[in-house]
Amino acid sequence: MTCSYVTLWDLETGKNIATIKTNSSVRTCNFSYSAYQAAYTTDKAMGHPCEVFIIDTRTIDESMSTQSPILKWEITDSKVTSMVWGTLDETIITGHEAGDLIQWDLRTGKKVHSIKEHTHQINDMQLSRDGTMFITASKDQSAKLFDTSSLELLKEYKTERPVNSAALSPILDHVVLGGGQDAMEVTTTSTRQGKFDARFFHLVFEEEFGRVKGHFGPINSLAFHPDGKSYASGGEDGYVRVQSFDQSYFDYTFDYNRE
Amino acid sequence: MAKKKGDEKVNQTPQSDNEEQNYDEEPDFDDPEGFVDDIPDEELLADLLEQKPKESDGYENVIVVDGCPQVGPERLEKLQSVINKIFSKFGKIVNEYYPTTDTGVTTGYIFLEYSNPQNAAEAVKATNNCKLDKQHTFLVNLFTDFNKYADIPKEWEPPAPQPFKVQSDLQWYLMDPDAYDQFLVGIGTGVSLQVWQNALPEPVMLQERPNWTETYAVWSPLGTYLATFHWRGVALWAGPKFSQFQKFFHPEARFISFSPCENYIVTFSPSGDRGDDKKLIIWDIRTGQEKRSFPPPDEYVTWPIFRWSKDDRFFARLGADVLSVYETPGFGLLDKKSIKIPGIRDFSWSPTDNILAYWVAEDKDVPARVTLLELPNRTEVRSKNLFSVADCKIHWQKSGDYLCVKVDRYSKVKKDKNEIKYSGMYYNFEIFHMREKEIPVDSVEIKEPIQAFAWEPVGSKFSIIHGDPANICISFYQVNTGQAPTLLRKFERKPFNHLFWSPMGQFIILANLGLTGGALEFLDTNDFTIMNVAAHYQMSGIEWDPTGRYVVTGVSSLKCKMDCGYYIWSFQGKVLRRVMKEGFAQFHWRPRPPTLLSEKQQKEIKKNLKKYYSQFESKDRMRSSKASKELVAKRTEQMKKHIEYREAKVQEWEEQKPRRLELRNYVDTDGLDNDPTSTVEEVVEFFVKEEQSTIE
Repeated sequence: MTCSYVTLWDLETGKNIATIKTNSSVRTCNFSYSAYQAAYTTDKAMGHPCEVFIIDTRTIDESMSTQSPILKWEITDSKVTSMVWGTLDETIITGHEAGDLIQWDLRTGKKVHSIKEHTHQINDMQLSRDGTMFITASKDQSAKLFDTSSLELLKEYKTERPVNSAALSPILDHVVLGGGQDAMEVTTTSTRQGKFDARFFHLVFEEEFGRVKGHFGPINSLAFHPDGKSYASGGEDGYVRVQSFDQSYFDYTFDYNRE
Repeated sequence: MAKKKGDEKVNQTPQSDNEEQNYDEEPDFDDPEGFVDDIPDEELLADLLEQKPKESDGYENVIVVDGCPQVGPERLEKLQSVINKIFSKFGKIVNEYYPTTDTGVTTGYIFLEYSNPQNAAEAVKATNNCKLDKQHTFLVNLFTDFNKYADIPKEWEPPAPQPFKVQSDLQWYLMDPDAYDQFLVGIGTGVSLQVWQNALPEPVMLQERPNWTETYAVWSPLGTYLATFHWRGVALWAGPKFSQFQKFFHPEARFISFSPCENYIVTFSPSGDRGDDKKLIIWDIRTGQEKRSFPPPDEYVTWPIFRWSKDDRFFARLGADVLSVYETPGFGLLDKKSIKIPGIRDFSWSPTDNILAYWVAEDKDVPARVTLLELPNRTEVRSKNLFSVADCKIHWQKSGDYLCVKVDRYSKVKKDKNEIKYSGMYYNFEIFHMREKEIPVDSVEIKEPIQAFAWEPVGSKFSIIHGDPANICISFYQVNTGQAPTLLRKFERKPFNHLFWSPMGQFIILANLGLTGGALEFLDTNDFTIMNVAAHYQMSGIEWDPTGRYVVTGVSSLKCKMDCGYYIWSFQGKVLRRVMKEGFAQFHWRPRPPTLLSEKQQKEIKKNLKKYYSQFESKDRMRSSKASKELVAKRTEQMKKHIEYREAKVQEWEEQKPRRLELRNYVDTDGLDNDPTSTVEEVVEFFVKEEQSTIE
């Protein structure tokens, strides 16, 4: 039998400061804005249901492992595959295996909004710098931009391969998408065909304007540097590539009327 | 009952206001005085009246059998038993009547009644005009038909003229001022069909219909009609709205072929249940009439079974040791008999003349032979004997100027029981010069396996892909008058397996099709410059547009599940458009009829191309600037909307600032990320290791 944990680390020292044992694998975890709380979700596996946990993280010590969560509820239909906190620690938004997005009110533990804009699993969700928008990356070969409070669909970015991760630039109206052929099918295809490039789209115009090659397996994870001048991608090929933008990236503009 | 009472009560309540009702007493149902019943029965009881028995009822069960033997009373019983035996096959005879003359002899006609009209109808259908014996033939009719025929008016009324139906313009697609070509895109197996116009700067969809066809769709050879396949048969669509032009009822028809001038269509239904002699049908396209049907071929043959001469005058079919040539519009065999050609293996019509080429296999000491036969007079205009022949392939050049017969020859042959094994293969290309006196023949020999052969459609070049898989070569030859073909150029070690000449000649695409392929080379054969090297991974097909300006490469979902779609390229190999479409299955350019311009006129245009060039150039510039204006307008609109959205959000975010501060212990972190002064770079030095070494 395998063991599953949520682990909390001290960033400065790199020390493991608390461990919470779970019944099944932990799929997602995130601190809230205040970092007084954290949320994590578990997989539906080994006879255990998919569950969402909200824990108190104001004091972190040995007692964490025995503490009971502030709130926990069970997800009966398709499991949670990604999750972000809403603004002001009031809500969390979960992305599901079937493509649903659900916003939960933490005061009541009830669904507030539920939408289905994706047809396949939502692999990743990332907030914009101010947290008012978030981007989803889905196996249905698209990434979409939503409003965090209303879950209104704002924009859509389409590709020909499953998207595993998507990130929003903190300084420009740019998004980056990463993914590629399913890892299972990769051995049968050449790298050119797997389409493992990181692809840059304009946030507003939904037009692709650049690709960065390099990975020879699907990209699983993407993040912009907080200063927006570089980004990092992690791939199934075992590499993390840190790419900094050259001047032409910042000079590139789209034609439109800016009065 | 209780409910009914309630209903009455409701109906009567308004009355109870002014008069006292006594429910115990039976109400008065009599009509008030002076009431006139003016509602006819038809209105009241229409549904019931329909069921009222009519005098004519049951007549349709009765049949009249005429043409029976006339017999006296002594043989009546015999006649009755014979009649009963025949007619009770169709159902129970409930009543019979044999009228007789005064002398007791039957009149020759009898009345039989079945228990239902279906039996009667069936009996009429099956026995009318059936012979009972030498002298007697039954004439059987439904009794009701007698009434019908008796009621025919004496005066003939001329039928009202049908209003003239305007035929939509079938050639509309050729009238486009910019000479844009159209193309057809099929999605899935009959999921949907789209017709596009290859306009600039981007194609425009003219039609999209789901389930337009059940399988696939094809254009007719001159592009007038679009043919779709259905369970019930084949339909043709034409005109600007793609309205149905004609349909041919032929259940489960799977294959069709058009005659070159679009007068006739052949449909083939290998599994249809219309009987064996209705498997292959030739129809007249304009009238929709069936012209002739044929039984299916005895063995597996290649489609098309019927091959047409260039002018639709003849069509021919290959048989065992026989070639059957039929004539239109009579659809009979030419000279009422097939042409006996022992050992005939294959044939092909010239694309421009009523000449066909066939070849006959070797038989013991008799060599193989290629013959050119002129029709209808059956003159052998040329023939050539060939030795050590394993197989032949006939390739006509599209302009009909040349014919190439590729001959697979062997140096050794080994005959097993049922198998013939050839070894030491080499290949000859026999080139017939059709336009020269007495049709001289040249020969090119290649000792390597041949992958492909293709004529330049217009011109005098041909290309061959040959060589071992490790070293595939592509050779270009020039056909000359009075001298053997000369090798123009040979490319070695190329990964290609297919050749696609531009329909206008000069330009050719070398391609590697298939799941492991995708490489492309665009070649100008005037000076053999490679204009571009490109790729479309796993492409399954290539098609030139009929003008030779554009070419399309496609990955069909029927061949490959991934990345289905098509690319449109310029003839120089510049990709103009990539369309990825899930389920993309087929792509066909709409053909064009041959040009109406004479050769002189065409030359004139080519000479003055510079003059037209500037016109086209300015037109293109206008179009692209219009398109970029539209794009800019669209983006401006999008950006405006986005800025509005963001302004509202940012305001909301600012309003939430006190609450954010509260959540983070009153430390303002909002500007942390993009304020370079907030980050302090600190240099930390620490001891890693110390090494000591002596310097000599």
